[in-house]
Amino acid sequence: MTLELERLSRRFGEVTALDGLSFEVPAGRVFGFLGPNGAGKTTTMRAIFGLTDLDEGTVHWAGRPVGATARGRFGYMPEERGLYPSMVVRDQVEYFARLHGLGVGAAAAAAGECLERLGIHERAGSKVEALSHGNQQRVQLAVALVHRPDLLVLDEPLAGLDPGGIDAIGEVLREEARRGCCVLLSSHQLDLVEDLCESVAIIDHGRLVVAGDVDDLTTHGDRRLVVRVEGDRTGRWAKRLRGARLSEVDGGAVRLAVEDGADSDVILDAARKAGRVTEFHFERRRLSEVFREALG
Amino acid sequence: MTGLPIAIAVIAIAFIVRRLRRRVGTAPVARRRVSAPWLPNASSPIALAASREITQRVRSRTFWVATGVTLLAITAVIVIPALKSNGPARERVGIVGASSSAVAAAARASAKQVNATVEIVPEPDAQAASADISHGKVDIAVVDASQILVRHTLAESDGTTKAQLARALAVILGEQRAFAAAGLTSAQAVAIGHLRPIPIRGVSNRTSSSVEQGTAVVGLILLFVLLSQYGTWTLIGVMEEKASRVVEVLLAAIRPTQLLTGKVLGIGALVFTQAAILVGWALGLGSAVGSDILKGTAPTVLFAILGWLVLGYAFYSWVFAAAGSTVERQDQVQAIAFPITIPLLVGYVSSVAAVSSSHASLYVTVLAYIPLTSPFAMPVLVALHAVAWWQFLLSALISIAATLGMARLAGTVYRRAALRTGRRVGLREVLTTRAQPRSR
Repeated sequence: MTLELERLSRRFGEVTALDGLSFEVPAGRVFGFLGPNGAGKTTTMRAIFGLTDLDEGTVHWAGRPVGATARGRFGYMPEERGLYPSMVVRDQVEYFARLHGLGVGAAAAAAGECLERLGIHERAGSKVEALSHGNQQRVQLAVALVHRPDLLVLDEPLAGLDPGGIDAIGEVLREEARRGCCVLLSSHQLDLVEDLCESVAIIDHGRLVVAGDVDDLTTHGDRRLVVRVEGDRTGRWAKRLRGARLSEVDGGAVRLAVEDGADSDVILDAARKAGRVTEFHFERRRLSEVFREALG
Repeated sequence: MTGLPIAIAVIAIAFIVRRLRRRVGTAPVARRRVSAPWLPNASSPIALAASREITQRVRSRTFWVATGVTLLAITAVIVIPALKSNGPARERVGIVGASSSAVAAAARASAKQVNATVEIVPEPDAQAASADISHGKVDIAVVDASQILVRHTLAESDGTTKAQLARALAVILGEQRAFAAAGLTSAQAVAIGHLRPIPIRGVSNRTSSSVEQGTAVVGLILLFVLLSQYGTWTLIGVMEEKASRVVEVLLAAIRPTQLLTGKVLGIGALVFTQAAILVGWALGLGSAVGSDILKGTAPTVLFAILGWLVLGYAFYSWVFAAAGSTVERQDQVQAIAFPITIPLLVGYVSSVAAVSSSHASLYVTVLAYIPLTSPFAMPVLVALHAVAWWQFLLSALISIAATLGMARLAGTVYRRAALRTGRRVGLREVLTTRAQPRSR
């Protein structure tokens, strides 16, 4: 099953939120929906659930326009987290399971299983307002997962989490994809989700900038060479190299896009002239570089 | 003449039923099992939302504290006056003179008239009787069947049992003196003493409207308090879901109208249950302690009030729900609730004035057909006998149709305003633009 977004357009007064946005999200993969703040990610996700009207365009699921029945099999975690503060965690997860069509017994069983999977079963009897931010985030994910959705839409799911939380939630999302779920997650921190996502669509100003498999995007085109010269913070030595273009300077590490056929020894010599070389290796492109290069 | 209203009523009912069927026919959740065309089953989103409202509110301490305080207040209002009276008053009547048995019989007859009992205390002379009155040993004394002594001179406004007994006894003894002066035999006197008032019959079967008007006034107060209080519950409930942002997760799963309908039905079920418990407690307690509150109610007006309580709640709950979706802070609640209470106030004040004047003016008659004010004005027309059954039905149908329209409008407002966060959303803004998220 595939989620297809076709020519989505939406204006809010003078602001164009979506401008003919089209891409597809296949099942069985963790799909990153990336872009800077204000790119149109939340509007797109809300459009999938019919929470905002579209000026143009359609959202299809499994080849058919998305209706209420299909949405009943979707799971959603909005950017602004939302739970009943004074409701007990277990009751809350069960309630949403039942709203998604599970019977009383099945909802109770699914809620218990889901809370255990996310490591918060010991707090099942607590009120949501009594939980830490990280645990509230886990309950929010449990609400989205409890009915084993066919499509999981998560708006900035990793925002505000510590590295341990990111790893834990990332693992759950991979498991969901492995069981055949279509997982769509958004982030404005492109490099944060690079290891988690198998495919991405990067947008800006409501338009698709680039889409594809992460492996293809990060290995396609010029090779990436990272050079660090002791004491150098500007990378001035790398600005006029033949066959290599300066991509970025980040904390003293110079990233170069090296053309096919260019001699890396020439680059190493140039670096040595600038100072003692402490780092010199090839790497894949990062998604943020892919984004910047796609924008030109 | 009655054919036209009946036809209007039949057409209106058919239209409403068709609308309801059509709505359910397009209901989105395919897996629900609907046994009746327009009644949600226990697993439907509407029933689940309603059930959550009931469960969460019943679990909250505030609900039970409020209910407990109200029950205590009702108990105090009913029991304290009853305890004060504590059954028929027992008055001690001192009797001086030869004809004491006749006077005692007159005292008992008088006591019966004023719902009291008497204890006869023989007194040797008028002086002793006066002393006993002064010392509180007897309440009233009759001297030689020709004079009644009480402690203080009776004021005209004195409505105590003792005063009523004294007046009634004075009349009876005065009659006996008159019979004796007229030379009637004792048999004739007894025959006159057994006089019964002749029946007073109205030319129509209707009773005097004073009782109905009294019922209407009490009912209007009840309507105003309940509609404004329970409407505010709905408003705050919707506001809280917006404030906690849970509304976006909910609307991703179910339709706005389903969520709102569930909320309205849930709160409605709870408040009517609470109201029934309070009224039931009041009536039961009143009956147990012999309070007067059961007396003097007019069933027709009472049913009209209860019916319009349901219709009024159904209409206003949508208004309050829509308003709740435009705010997200407690301090904004009062500002948004005030304009809604204006038509409630207009209906209430106008209707109370109409009852007080016993006159169904054209103004109140018009109000009785406007859904904003009909919950107040129509029961008043019933109390004043100023409305035919078909007019009552027509007003109810207008209210039901307006409720359906308001539900639709509230759904639109809710959908467009619930996700606009960070500020209060104006009605014009909601109605002229489409759903818009705060951030993109």
